[in-house]
Order: sequence, then structure tokens, then C-alpha cells
Amino acid sequence: MESFVLIKQVPDQSSKAGINSDGTIDRAKAKRMLNPFDRYALEAALQTKRQHGARVTAITMGPPPAIEVLYEAIAHGVDRGFLMTDRRLAASDTLATAYTLAQTVRYAGSPDLIFCGLQTTDGDTAQVGPQLAERLGIPQVTYCEAFEIRDGILLARRAIEGGSQTVTVPLPVLVTVANSAQRLAYPTLRGAQRVQRLMRDEAARAEVIQIINLDDVGADPERCGLKGSPTIVAATEKVGEIGGNCQIFQGQSVPSLVKSLTEAASISSYVGAR
Amino acid sequence: MVQKRVLIFAEQVNGELQPIGLELLGSGRLLADKLGATLSALVLGSNIAHLASTLIGHGADEVFVADHPELAQYRTLPYRRVMTDLIKSWPEPPHTILLGSTTTGRDLAPRLAAHLETGLTADCTDLDIGPFEYSNSKDPSKSGLFRDCLYAIRPSFGESLKARILGPWKNPQMATVRPGVMVPLPWDGSRRGEVFQVPVQLDPSDLSLQIVETVRNLSQTTDLTRAEVIVSGGYGLGSPEGFELMQQLAACFPNSAVGSSRKAVDSGWIPYAHQVGQTGKTVRPQIYIACGISGAIQHRVGMDKSRTIIAINKDSSAPIFKFAHYGIVGDLYQVVPEMIRQLQQNQSQPQAHPTERIPVLQGH
Ligand SMILES: Cc1cc2nc3c(=O)[nH]c(=O)nc-3n(C[C@H](O)[C@H](O)[C@H](O)COP(=O)(O)OP(=O)(O)OC[C@H]3O[C@@H](n4cnc5c(N)ncnc54)[C@H](O)[C@@H]3O)c2cc1C
Repeated sequence: MESFVLIKQVPDQSSKAGINSDGTIDRAKAKRMLNPFDRYALEAALQTKRQHGARVTAITMGPPPAIEVLYEAIAHGVDRGFLMTDRRLAASDTLATAYTLAQTVRYAGSPDLIFCGLQTTDGDTAQVGPQLAERLGIPQVTYCEAFEIRDGILLARRAIEGGSQTVTVPLPVLVTVANSAQRLAYPTLRGAQRVQRLMRDEAARAEVIQIINLDDVGADPERCGLKGSPTIVAATEKVGEIGGNCQIFQGQSVPSLVKSLTEAASISSYVGAR
Repeated sequence: MVQKRVLIFAEQVNGELQPIGLELLGSGRLLADKLGATLSALVLGSNIAHLASTLIGHGADEVFVADHPELAQYRTLPYRRVMTDLIKSWPEPPHTILLGSTTTGRDLAPRLAAHLETGLTADCTDLDIGPFEYSNSKDPSKSGLFRDCLYAIRPSFGESLKARILGPWKNPQMATVRPGVMVPLPWDGSRRGEVFQVPVQLDPSDLSLQIVETVRNLSQTTDLTRAEVIVSGGYGLGSPEGFELMQQLAACFPNSAVGSSRKAVDSGWIPYAHQVGQTGKTVRPQIYIACGISGAIQHRVGMDKSRTIIAINKDSSAPIFKFAHYGIVGDLYQVVPEMIRQLQQNQSQPQAHPTERIPVLQGH
């Protein structure tokens, strides 16, 4: 079985480094990290390795430093990685990204399962997974919370509004993993040692991680980057600070605090057991 | 003259329209009027003919109904097929297509956009129509003055910025819209519109995914988008049991739901479906009671449209006091039980707490 997992390096917005005062990000200065949502996807892919002996391939697209997330994935037990990196990819929107990734996936093999994080913390669109599935012409299961594979069929539970849904679908299929799925464990000792070796020894690295560009995967540059993106960010505006007129109750006895508040906020009109 | 359309996707569940469809009509009506376009609604399902008049009464000029047993429950591929077939049958693509950013809309919209090779902006909180002048030396083919573009406005960079996304080079221009943000038009029974049946032709490959079971057991405690009062718990609860207290407070109100911050969800105290915020749900209840929630920007954007925000937090410098309307600085484990006691006293007929409980997840 072949499992692919798509991961992305994103700016760490919880760190002040590289975050400009207007809220935009200076990507060169910002601290980088693996997209938190992709940790769940990684765990899901590794589950197919533990349970079905799948070979797990991690794919990422980004500038050269993005290789760090491939190292991180390998430390967790991923078998091999692909870094798609090319200057012509700048300003890709989700449509162009999905096109580039589809070409990259085809180049890397024919996966039975493709796992993606639900969304990224820098784009927040949740669009790339389904767009990639459409490009590859395979079904998708989004918001996946838990899954099993039996006889070439994926049995999955996905989150929906106010509940969940269980579905079956034959492989190959693309799965986007919701953040209630299982957590990623710590890197394995063996994995960490393997990464140490790859970082030291370029020949060993080249056997495990392929660094590729648009020409390698036969992608049409017109469909990538700015040229291939039907949308652009035309303007940004800072979200204003609001409020400052909260009526705060403190210092009295709890019963009188609660009484003052419920009266001021006129809560009583909503009361009545359901 | 070719008909210009703004098309909205109206979600239904078990033959019942979801609020997002009407919200999209409210927003779509403004766009269509500015464009001089027809506002069209599309609804897919089984035995759903009765929904057309509701959609017309809430603002649609025309309604397309795709009624077929295989469409009874939402599935990506059959829905994608019917929608793209319909759109391609028109002499000109719609100017704009809007879907909700629900689990359904976020599943379907990107597939549709990729199939139509067009742009899609996720999770918008505001939409408008306006002109756009663009020049880019790296891609001169995109330069020019474009009239009547869709302005898709969405929060970005951890919600600290609002970005205006444009894609006038290709129609349809597409966006998903957060539930709870747009305001539906009031029902007007005198509105008239046309209803069309959509031919449904599915390929066997569209049906490879099968739904085994759909559970909506959480509806009463989780239908955050419809609740009048939301009692929301955060990391300050300290343990999953804290949500039993939230549930008890919520039970004082007839139309209420329990919400949570992401940290409580990530701690495994409550299922993701309860999460309010940037990566959870957008809500706008009459009353939002935030207990032990600091008020991080990612949480705030999901709830700051609530009519009255009440914060209970023991830290008087917590950011939530910057935008709440009323606050108590104190320990929620002292304040909330007292609040429940007083509210129950206020009830004309004290009633027992409902037996329904939120499934508490195992800690990690
Ligand atoms: C990309 C991204 C997306 C995110 N999306 C979301 C989202 O959708 N929704 C969301 O909520 N967050 C989201 N977050 C997380 C967000 O940044 C905050 O971490 C989170 O909202 C904090 O949750 P909290 O307020 O419950 O916890 P904390 O920030 O830890 O606050 C706990 C509060 O409880 C108070 N407290 C403690 N004990 C008591 C007590 N006994 N009585 C009263 N008060 C007490 C404390 O004073 C504190 O203010 C996101 C973050 C990122 C990076």
C-alpha cells in the first residue's frame, strides 16, 4: 500500500518574530513550523504504515527551507519525501497550488491514500485537498475524524454540522483530517537518528528526499504561480480594536455580583428550562 | 441579451433548508441588484419540491431544483456532477457562485472551482461588487480596468487583517461564506419567481462513496448557529467535568447550546463540533456567556457579533473584557453555580435539568 501525506511549512504566528506591526508576515524573518493541522494528517498516514505496512511518502511545496518539514516527517517514521520548489511558484493561489501538487503526486507514484491536513494556518482555506482530489479524479473524504481500511475499502467517520457521518469508499481516495483525529506521537529514536544521517550525508539524503521543480514533473508554468492563479489579494486592512466599554462587576459577594450582572444584561427574559 | 446570474447553493438536510441558504440569498440579493443580475438558487435533494417557494420568498428570482433519490444526502461527486452539468448548460457561466463554509460547502466548493478552473475565496465575512484596476508587470495579461468584480472579503493572518480577494479574470467568481455572518431578508410571500427542474444524470463512478450512517445526536447541545443563548467554556474550566456545569447553565434557557474555545477542544474535553472561532463556528446569539475564556483574536472573530457578550474570568486583564459588554471578575466555579441558582429561582416553574449530556472525551 502506498500512502502519501501532503504537508506545509507555515509561519509560526504565536511567535512575535517576523510578524510586522500591521499584522502581515515577513516570511524571511518569521519562525517556521509544520502546519499544525498537518500533524494529524501525518499521524493518519503513519497509522496505515503501522497497521498495513504502507510505504509513506511526504510531499511538500515551498521555498528550499521547507525541507525542514520533510525531516520532521521522516523523524516521525515517514519513508521518503519530495520537495517541490521553484521560483515560478510564487503567488500561487489554491487552484494553482492544487495543479502543481497534482503533477507532483503523479510524478511521485500512484498512491492508494492521500492524506492532507484540514487546512493551513496561513491560508485557512481548506480548499487544496478537495481541489487536488478533483484534479486527480479520485473521491475525497473531508473532515475525517477516524478511519479503518478493510479489503481495499476505506471506512471513515467524518464530522458534519451537529454530528458525524460514516462512509465507505474504495481506494484510491484523498482524506483531509480533522483536528479531532488522533494526535501525533513523539518522533522515534530511529527516525531522529535517520534524519541526523541525512543531514550529514548528501548522497544518503538524495536517496530519501527528492528536490524537484516544475520541469521535473512536467507542469505547465502558465498554470502555476501568479500566472495560474485566478485570484489575488488586492488589498488588506487592519481589523480595528474594538470595545473598551465593558461593564465589569467585581469585589462584591458572589450572589450580589451575579444579581447585578443578570439585571444589567437583562438575562431573565431568556430564562425557561428547555 | 445573455442573462447575468448570481447563483447561491441552498443546503438542505432531510428536506429542511439550512439557515446558511437564506443568509446567502440575503447577501446575494445585494450583489445581484448591484450587477443588474438574476438571483438564482440551486437546491439538490430528494422530495424537495416544496423548498422552492421558501427560497423565492426569501429573495430568489429563480430556483433550480435537482430532485433525485441519489441526492437525498449530500455526497461530493453526485452533487459536483449535477452542479457542473447545470452550469455548463447555460450559454454563459454565472457571474458569481456562493456557497456556505459549512462542512458541505467547504467540501463541494473547491471541487467545483477546480472543475470550472476558476478562483474561489474561502470563508468570507463580507461581499461586495465594485471596480478594480490592476497592472502587474510579471503578468501583463491580467492588467486592465475591470468593472463589477466580486469583492470577497475574508479575515487573514490569524484574523488580524481583512483581505480583499479578487478574481475578475474568469467567471464564475466563487466564494464560500461563513454561516451566521450574512443577514437573510425577511420572508415576503408576495415575491414571485420561476422554478426549474434540473435534469440529473449521474455516472456510476459518482456513486462509489456510500453513506453508512449519519448521526446528528448533538443537535440540541451543539446547534450553535441557531441557539439564542450560548454558554461557552474555555481552558479556564480546568477539566472536562467543567462542561457539565456549562450544560447546567445552558439548561436554564430554552433555546441554548454549549460552545467552547479551541484550547478546550484540543485538550480533549469536548468534541470539535462545539468549537467557536476562526477554525470553529461563527455564532451570533442574543447572549454569549464566556466562562474561563481569555478572548484570543481567533476566538473573538467567531463570537463578537453576539448581541450581548458576558465574560466570567478571574483575570481582570484578560482580553475578553476589552470587547465583552458585561463581565464578572471571579472564579467561574463560584459564579456559575450561583448564576444557575438565581436563574432557576427566576423561572416561574422550576424544572429538572435535562438528562441529555455532552459526550465527554477522554483526556490525552
Ligand atoms: C490558526 C489558529 C486557529 C485558531 N482557532 C481558534 C478557534 O477557532 N477558536 C478558539 O477559541 N481558539 C482558536 N485558536 C486558539 C486561540 O489562539 C487561543 O489559544 C484559545 O482561544 C485560548 O483558549 P482559552 O481562552 O480557552 O484558553 P486560555 O487562553 O488559556 O484562557 C483561559 C482563561 O481562563 C481564565 N481562568 C482560569 N481559571 C479560571 C477560573 N477558575 N474561573 C474563571 N476564569 C478562569 C484565565 O484567566 C484565562 O483568561 C486558534 C489558534 C490558531 C493559531
